[in-house]
Amino acid sequence: MIQLSYLDYIAVERKSFLHRLSPKLKIIGMILVLFVIVTVRSLPGLFLLYVILLTLFFIARIPAKIFPLTLYPLIFAFLFIFLSGFRIFFILLIFLKVLCGSTGVVLLLASTPYPSVFSVLGRVLPSSFVMALFLTYRSVFILLTCLEETQHALYLRGGVQWKHPWRSLINISNGFGHLIIQGIDASEKMYESMALRGFKGKIHYRGE
Amino acid sequence: MSHIHFPDGVLPVWLWASGYIVAILVGTILLRLTKKEALTRRLPLLGMMAAVMVLGASVEIVPIAYHVNLTVFSGVLLGPSLIFMATFVVNVILALFGHGGITVIGLNTLTLSIEGILGYYFFRLIWKVLKRLTPAIFLATFIALLFSTFAMIGVVSLGTSHYEELIHQEGKGIFEFHLSKEKEEHHPGVAAEEKVNLRRFMAIVLPLGFIGWILEGVITSLIARYIQRLRPDLLRIKT
Repeated sequence: MIQLSYLDYIAVERKSFLHRLSPKLKIIGMILVLFVIVTVRSLPGLFLLYVILLTLFFIARIPAKIFPLTLYPLIFAFLFIFLSGFRIFFILLIFLKVLCGSTGVVLLLASTPYPSVFSVLGRVLPSSFVMALFLTYRSVFILLTCLEETQHALYLRGGVQWKHPWRSLINISNGFGHLIIQGIDASEKMYESMALRGFKGKIHYRGE
Repeated sequence: MSHIHFPDGVLPVWLWASGYIVAILVGTILLRLTKKEALTRRLPLLGMMAAVMVLGASVEIVPIAYHVNLTVFSGVLLGPSLIFMATFVVNVILALFGHGGITVIGLNTLTLSIEGILGYYFFRLIWKVLKRLTPAIFLATFIALLFSTFAMIGVVSLGTSHYEELIHQEGKGIFEFHLSKEKEEHHPGVAAEEKVNLRRFMAIVLPLGFIGWILEGVITSLIARYIQRLRPDLLRIKT
C-alpha cells in the first residue's frame, strides 16, 4: 500500500501512449480482458493474453517496482490448487487467469488517475458509492502520513520483534488504534471543511 | 484474515453474476433504509474506516499473506448498513490493486460484510450479557470470522461442477460455453482422481483460518482496549 502513492504518481506524471489513451477506452479494454479470462479455457490463449499485457506493461514504461503487485494474488490461487488432484493443466489455467486479471488492473491503475476511473464508475454506481470511493482513496493518503508518524513512535517503543510476540501484538494493535482515532478526527474535520465549501452529498468531477 | 479474496476466472459465471445481483439488492435496501442526511454526515467516517481496512489489508502480520481485516471493528463503529457500503468500497479498491478479482466484487463484498454485520450484532449481544469489553469483542470477532470463513467455503463449494469441467478441459476446446453437449468417456479410476476435493481444501483453509480468527480476535480486542482508554465515546457502550 506504500506503493499506492507511487502508483498514483505514475498514473498522473507519465506520458506514454497508454497514459494518453482515454480512461473509457482503457476500462473497455479491461472489460475485454476480463471477458477473455472468464470465457477462454485454453492455456495458449491465456498465455498469449498474458504476453500482450506484459508487452503493454513494458511499452508503457511502467516501472519494474510495480510488477510484484501483479504476483500477489497468486497466494490466494494456491489454495484453489488443493481443490484439484494437483493437475498441472488446472493449476496453470488458474495461475494464468489470475495473472492476466491482476496485470490488467495494475496496468489500468498505473496509467489512469483514480478520479478518472471513479468518474467512469459513477455512470453505473449510485452517487453515494462513488463519493465513498473518492473519500476512501483520499483517506488512504491521509492515513499513510499518520502511519509514518505512528511507525516512528512504534520503533521507539520496541517496534515489532518476533522474539517478543505479545509485546509486538500490543504495539501493532496500539498502532492501529492510534491510526483509527487519528482517522476519525480527520474525517470529522474533513466533513466540516467540505460542508463549509457547500458539500451537499455529491462530488463533481470536471475531468481534464 | 479469515477469507481469501476470490480471483477472476476461477468461479463460474452464474455464481459471480448472482453475487453481484444479491450485493446490489442488499446495498439498495440498506441505502433506502438509511436517511440521506445521516449518510451524508457519516460518509467521511465511512471513507476513513474503509481506508483503515484497506491499510490493514496491506500490513502482513504473519508472512503467507495473513493480514487484519478490521471489518468487525469497523462494523462496531459504523453499524450494519454503512459497513456493507464500506466493504464494497474496500473490495473495489483492493480489486483495482489486483488484491481480489473484479468479477467477484459482489461475492467478496457479501462474505466480508457478513463479518462486519455479524460482528456488530454479536458484540452488542455479548456486551449486554458479559459487560466486559475484551471478551465481548474477542468472541464477536471470532464468531463473525468463523461464519464468514464458512460462507467463503460455501461459495467455493457451489462452483464444484465448474472446477471439474475445468479439470477435464485439457485438450477439449478454447471456450467456456458450448453449443452442444459432448459425450465424454470416463475411466472410473481416473474419474475418482479428477473429482474436486473440497475436503482437502477445507483441511487447509480451516486450520489456517482458525489461527487467523484467534489472531484477529486478539488484535481487535487490543485495539478496542486502546480506544476505550482514549476515546470511550467511539464505542457507544454503556459501562
